[in-house]
Amino acid sequence: MLRYTLQRIIYMLITLFIIATLTFFLMKLLPGSPLKSQDKLTPEQITIINEKYGLNDPLPVQYVNYLGNLAQGDLGLSFQYDNRPVTEMIAGRIGPSAQLGLQALILGSIVGLILGIIAAIKHNTFFDYGATFLAVIGISIPSFVFAGFMQFVLGVKLQLLPVALWEGFSYTIMPTLALSGFVIANISRFMRTELLEVMASDYIMLAKAKGISQSGIIIKHAIRNALIPVITIIGPLAVNIMTGSLVIERIFAIPGLGEQFVKSISMNDYTVIMGTTIFYSALFIFIIFVVDILYGIVDPRIRLAGGRK
Amino acid sequence: MDKVLEVKDLHVSFDTYGGIVKAVRGVNFDLKKGETLAIVGESGSGKSVTSKALMRLIPNPPGRISKGEILFDGRDLTKLSEKEMQKVRGKEIAMIFQDPMTSLNPTMKIGSQIMESLIKHQNLSKSAARERALELLRLVGIPQPEVRINQYPHQFSGGMRQRVVVAVALSCNPKVLIADEPTTALDVTIQAQILELMKDLQNKIDTSIIFITHDLGVVANVADRVAVMYGGQIVETGTVDEIFYDPRHPYTWGLLASMPSLDTSVQTELAAIPGTPPDLMHPPKGDAFAPRSAYALEIDFEHEPPMFQISDTHFAKTWLLHENAPAVEPPKAVVDRRRSMSANFAKPRLVEEAVR
Amino acid sequence: MEQKQLENLSPDLFRPAAGKEDLEKIGRPSLSYWQDAWIRLKKNKGAIFGLIIVILITLLAIFAPVFSSHTYREQNLALSKLPPKIPVLEHVGFLGVDGKDKDGFDVYKAKNVKEYYWFGTDDLGRDQWVRVWQGTRISLLIAVAAALIDLFIGIIYGGVAGFYGGRTDNIMMRIIEILIGIPHLIIVILFILIFKPGVTSIILAMVITGWTGMARIVRGQILKMKEQEFVLASKTLGAANSRLIGKHLIPNVLGPIIVTTMFSVPGAIFTEAFLSFIGLGIAPPQASLGSLVNDGFRFIQTYPYQLIIPSIVISLLILSFNLLGDGLRDALDPKMRK
Ligand SMILES: Nc1ncnc2c1ncn2[C@@H]1O[C@H](COP(=O)(O)OP(=O)(O)OP(=O)(O)O)[C@@H](O)[C@H]1O
Ligand SMILES: [Mg+2]
Repeated sequence: MLRYTLQRIIYMLITLFIIATLTFFLMKLLPGSPLKSQDKLTPEQITIINEKYGLNDPLPVQYVNYLGNLAQGDLGLSFQYDNRPVTEMIAGRIGPSAQLGLQALILGSIVGLILGIIAAIKHNTFFDYGATFLAVIGISIPSFVFAGFMQFVLGVKLQLLPVALWEGFSYTIMPTLALSGFVIANISRFMRTELLEVMASDYIMLAKAKGISQSGIIIKHAIRNALIPVITIIGPLAVNIMTGSLVIERIFAIPGLGEQFVKSISMNDYTVIMGTTIFYSALFIFIIFVVDILYGIVDPRIRLAGGRK
Repeated sequence: MDKVLEVKDLHVSFDTYGGIVKAVRGVNFDLKKGETLAIVGESGSGKSVTSKALMRLIPNPPGRISKGEILFDGRDLTKLSEKEMQKVRGKEIAMIFQDPMTSLNPTMKIGSQIMESLIKHQNLSKSAARERALELLRLVGIPQPEVRINQYPHQFSGGMRQRVVVAVALSCNPKVLIADEPTTALDVTIQAQILELMKDLQNKIDTSIIFITHDLGVVANVADRVAVMYGGQIVETGTVDEIFYDPRHPYTWGLLASMPSLDTSVQTELAAIPGTPPDLMHPPKGDAFAPRSAYALEIDFEHEPPMFQISDTHFAKTWLLHENAPAVEPPKAVVDRRRSMSANFAKPRLVEEAVR
Repeated sequence: MEQKQLENLSPDLFRPAAGKEDLEKIGRPSLSYWQDAWIRLKKNKGAIFGLIIVILITLLAIFAPVFSSHTYREQNLALSKLPPKIPVLEHVGFLGVDGKDKDGFDVYKAKNVKEYYWFGTDDLGRDQWVRVWQGTRISLLIAVAAALIDLFIGIIYGGVAGFYGGRTDNIMMRIIEILIGIPHLIIVILFILIFKPGVTSIILAMVITGWTGMARIVRGQILKMKEQEFVLASKTLGAANSRLIGKHLIPNVLGPIIVTTMFSVPGAIFTEAFLSFIGLGIAPPQASLGSLVNDGFRFIQTYPYQLIIPSIVISLLILSFNLLGDGLRDALDPKMRK
């Protein structure tokens, strides 16, 4: 297990390094230097920035400096927002995004698991078909469509919930629901198939042969075993929520990281784009890593044997 | 001897996509206290379905017990509620499955898997159940039970796992133990050990065993009586001697003829009998074995044969035992071994009871 | 009950009859793989629904812009923001396609418009009917092109890795592993930032990250095929059995590839829409389903139909592809069910 974890950490660092490098050179390829279009900056400021970031240095030097700064958590200064450090801008925006993402992930997982479990237990009944149908719908309808639908019905028509902004819990309800739809659909679908598979296994038959009640079997034997593989999709789903939040935050005018990122794209604020990209990538990779390790901890076959497969 | 279990006219069918599969079609047998009954027959003949039906473990849907009675201690198990049945499973009737690699829960400690039924059926406290689990592990020959009890199935070898499954099955001293090919997945030496273990334990706790197997060598070693299944029916039953030395059904002849030698305990898989097993969705008219039998009579394609009784304990379901049937010569391998059975009736009798 | 008349059985019946019945009688005509798959697909109501909707939407996307008197870019500010009005259906109250705005005000009458704009017009007076189908056309074009290029690259890359095996395979798979570790969306965003949004750059951006999945599937299937071929060859002792290969091998490896392609189309439709939302999508006056939905949000309070109609089309399209994909997966390989 320890070896496996170390190996994963090394892989993770390599991937991050590749992303940082890629981002750096792609940004250098961008048409025009970001500084040229800046009329807000005084010549002195330009000199300061050029000095500080060595924008006149040869590319390899810039690259090394960039990596060095990155290692210290310095993502550069925004060109559009009065030279604010990008790190600070990200830190200021992370709160709403994190809250939204966590709410959606938790809600989605819980509802998805419950739906999946009930569908599997009531296999081939009306409820099963209903849940399966809902899952296809949930996977198919894009979060932004779902968001628009809710905004229109719950916000504009019925006026039950605020249409947009971020000023209290009631403001979080619609965006959370919009983001969790996909999670619910995926988890319920996955849980259903896993649970059905487990329920058909020999060890469940043996547990039944021991005289354990149906509910005992489901709770003590089946769910735990079905849950283990479900953990593997939590990582990709968390990533999905994060990308989805780029759009959802914009639709609901939520002052989160995603909204800032989209804005920086439309304003060509290259350092912010670059910094946020790297931050997102690191987070994506970290989440996948954590979920992988979690998987190992939950499954005794991996925890004790070390390494997967 | 008193009967522990009596199965009468058991029918099990599965509703599938293509139609109704009649997997078990009118099975009758009984099991006496302390005896071992072996059920043999080729793959798909309905052995596992029969044994699962006894425990009411046929998955429903698609499967169901469509007809018949399973009398256990005077109660008809087919009529029990699921709740009542749970009190029978594991406590009165226990089961061992074929593949030890898949029959233990991979994420539950061995100890908990043994303790589960103890806590459920014997109301033991956790610590008492643990003590008993340790004792059981010792009993089935697992070294260092104090360490092993906290381990997971993947830390055990196949043979060790099957010992654990045996321990689980025997934990509540069941009256009946159903072992569905308990040694097929194991290698020969381990097989012998597990069989030895089962015999040993049977003597200690006086259980009746239903032993399902492909392996006639094993049958000769462990069984008191044998039931031969074909196409969802029992076509012949008798004591081990009767089946081995005086078989009457052409299918039994086929099985025995394909065995190299009865006296060696060398493992012998049943060699294939030519032809394919009957289509259980549309069972043939008459005798299901007739299309594959060199001894088929014309009547076999018209009427299903009744059960004939050859001795107090020996029954066979074939028209060859009818008084009008021509005398036929069984395969040489069978004739060579044939012994005369002193308990046989003068002439096979038609069993009225089986005629329904 | 037949045994009841045991006594009156004719002795004739007890004549030996061995070999009377044909032992090898295995009836049932064996259907080809594709026929069998088609029969299974037809039984799946969802898949057939999906198939019909996909065909319908595709036809509309191809022909609706052609047969309209308007074009997707033609503006008429005098006729801006007309609500939808559809003949016949305008009398079905709850559909709200009667040419009246949300306050029940008949805009057509007020502006003295005789023509019916089925989906209404946008803020620049462009015909939404044409724009929606033009947008569908672009979305479908991007998605199908991306899926096909993925397939093409995947077959080459996966094919090479699978056929050569050994070290080549090892290295090629390592490369894929690293690529998969990089979040797709980041690459897509960076790529489009550099090459500017457009149909081609969006397709290419999706391909850059999308081909790896297909390459893995193809490689897996090739390995499977090699194995089967080996077994087959050893069984028939070198006797080439092209019929067997054509009938069993190819279809079996093709199944998962077809299914994966089928599922990558809705994924690409979604990604394209997503790009529109973050400002990296198709630029106006050109439209895509994503850009239409994105624009629709601006008028959610006042002219909601501009949001609702493209939203329905994009959802229905993705749903239909998913239903069809699910159905194909079950029909082509029942074991692949997940
Ligand atoms: N769940 C099910 N659905 C449909 N048919 C089934 C099901 N379970 C068993 N059957 C059918 O019942 C018949 C008997 O199966 P069973 O498992 O009892 O055979 P068996 O004698 O135990 O064979 P083996 O020696 O291979 O274990 C088979 O023809 C099988 O196809
Ligand atoms: Mg069996």
